[in-house]
Amino acid sequence: MLEAAGKRELIVLDGLGVRLRGTYHRPADCSSESGVSRTKLNGTGVLFVNSLSLPRAASGDSAVFWADSIAGHGYPAFRIDLPGLGDSEGEASPDLLDSIGSGGLASVAAGAAKQLVEQFGLSGLVIFGHCAGAVSALFAGAACPECEGLILLDPYFHLPHFKRPKMRQQMSDWARRSKVGAVLSNGYDRARKLRLALRGSALPGNANSALLACWKQVAAAATPILLLKAPGIKAQGPKPRVGEFDYIGYVVKLAGRKSRVSVGFVESADHSFANLAGREAVDRLIAGWLAAQFPLQNGSPGKNDIALLRTGKNDSEARQSQAAPAGLGCAREGR
Amino acid sequence: MQNQFHLNGRLQELAGYFPVSGAHLYTVLHEVEKPLARVLLVGPFASERHISYLPWVRWARSLAADNIEVLRYDYRGIGESTGDFELMTFSDWSQDVRLLSAWLSDRVPHAPLVLHGLGMGALLAGRAFDAGLGDALLLWSPPANANQALRATLKRWVGLEQIFKFGPERKSASDYIRELEQGASLEVDGYRWPVKLWRDSFDFTLPAAFESEESAAATYNRPVRIVKLTREAAPLGKGGLVGHDDLKDFNWLYAPNRAWIAAAAAQISHGIAYA
Repeated sequence: MLEAAGKRELIVLDGLGVRLRGTYHRPADCSSESGVSRTKLNGTGVLFVNSLSLPRAASGDSAVFWADSIAGHGYPAFRIDLPGLGDSEGEASPDLLDSIGSGGLASVAAGAAKQLVEQFGLSGLVIFGHCAGAVSALFAGAACPECEGLILLDPYFHLPHFKRPKMRQQMSDWARRSKVGAVLSNGYDRARKLRLALRGSALPGNANSALLACWKQVAAAATPILLLKAPGIKAQGPKPRVGEFDYIGYVVKLAGRKSRVSVGFVESADHSFANLAGREAVDRLIAGWLAAQFPLQNGSPGKNDIALLRTGKNDSEARQSQAAPAGLGCAREGR
Repeated sequence: MQNQFHLNGRLQELAGYFPVSGAHLYTVLHEVEKPLARVLLVGPFASERHISYLPWVRWARSLAADNIEVLRYDYRGIGESTGDFELMTFSDWSQDVRLLSAWLSDRVPHAPLVLHGLGMGALLAGRAFDAGLGDALLLWSPPANANQALRATLKRWVGLEQIFKFGPERKSASDYIRELEQGASLEVDGYRWPVKLWRDSFDFTLPAAFESEESAAATYNRPVRIVKLTREAAPLGKGGLVGHDDLKDFNWLYAPNRAWIAAAAAQISHGIAYA
């Protein structure tokens, strides 16, 4: 068996109390074989963490696709399995969602980032997470001096319940199927909107205050953050569903004037971002954002970057990234 | 004496890439010093891999802890393996099983080789066994043909898709199947299924001898166990939620199957005729 295949290399991280396994995607300009290049990388890398209990390849192998692409643009990329997930050792908590919501995976993720920075001679890492992975990435980013940036796909800032009551689930299913159900669902949304208006700008009771504190800490320190949203259930474009609290608007304001938060809406994606159109749009946005926030030391775009500009010509999401690579709805512009 | 393959109480797991024509298969060997058997795990297909990954890895670890060496892998073009999914065929995935079986059975010291598959993996393992590979066979929820496995995957994905869709936007599994049968490729959970995959799936069947354990054992004169997984086994069986059902305790499933593998290996090692 080989430890490397093409530009991919298998890695093991020890010393965190549990052995973690992952994959290193060598950057395009790094022709050296396993190990040789590790102390010479210098620049910024990208670290992917698991989305909930999914293995490090993620839905539809989307993380593999993005990591290959990011490496193709010249940035080393790492995908690791956190303890008890994927191929890593340890036991995942049976209440994984609660554990993630309280930052339970943050210290190991931060420790892994530190090790990677040391082992590969990086200046720092951008931590990438999707959904529950974005929650872990944000907690880790706040706990990790090596974190130079964050890429958050559909993060959530509340404490979700994993399983809704069966009756409520059945009602939701019915509302999605039937015309009468849709009417009632809309009425329910309007009632929630009224309740939301009465609450003013107060956070909902199930807001994750610890996570919001991490967000404030990281964003206020002017850490570059790329936050991408997919269309939500019954949402109108990037805005939340009628009656739902606008967490994205809230966190953008919370970030403050000096923050470097970029928010993008990926209309072609579903929540997994694994669908082919969605993952390609995300890929273009990330490439533009990385190039703007973490320019490569040689300063010249690689072959893949040129291809990126061409393929993005007729795509609204990619146009957004070219016109304003660092500011897809920047916090400073007031969203 | 402590097994040298235990490192500080941990079992040795060796991840690597196995070169095949035009690609590399991602493999993890759960290594055992003097195994009573070796098992090749032929896992779930495409998007099914991700939702059942944790119980599948824990199953491999539970076998290794009982002195049964395990090799698990990702299909060509899926997960950590390289290759373009859209270009892969059942023939490629069958070759993966053949090559890895050969590699595993060549390891020393010799131990009986058990092929074990789940879902589409059961189909691949069953066909490899029919071709003479392996000393014993364990099948979990084998479909009659690959089309059944694809339909199950499609239905699971459609169920998730419908959460995000309302009214006329919602498409049923039948709608998608109609599109495939009319010659359009279909994207399912991040994998584009080419029309050829769908068409070929009807003819990629489990040999008739696997209709029952008895007929399979009589035909092949080697131990065969066929288990139909219930909903309780989700996400290894039908349904299940990521981050919830995959974190359950599956020892009720692992223990009897592990015992069966050990018993089958003992029979083979002692030269006891099976049929």
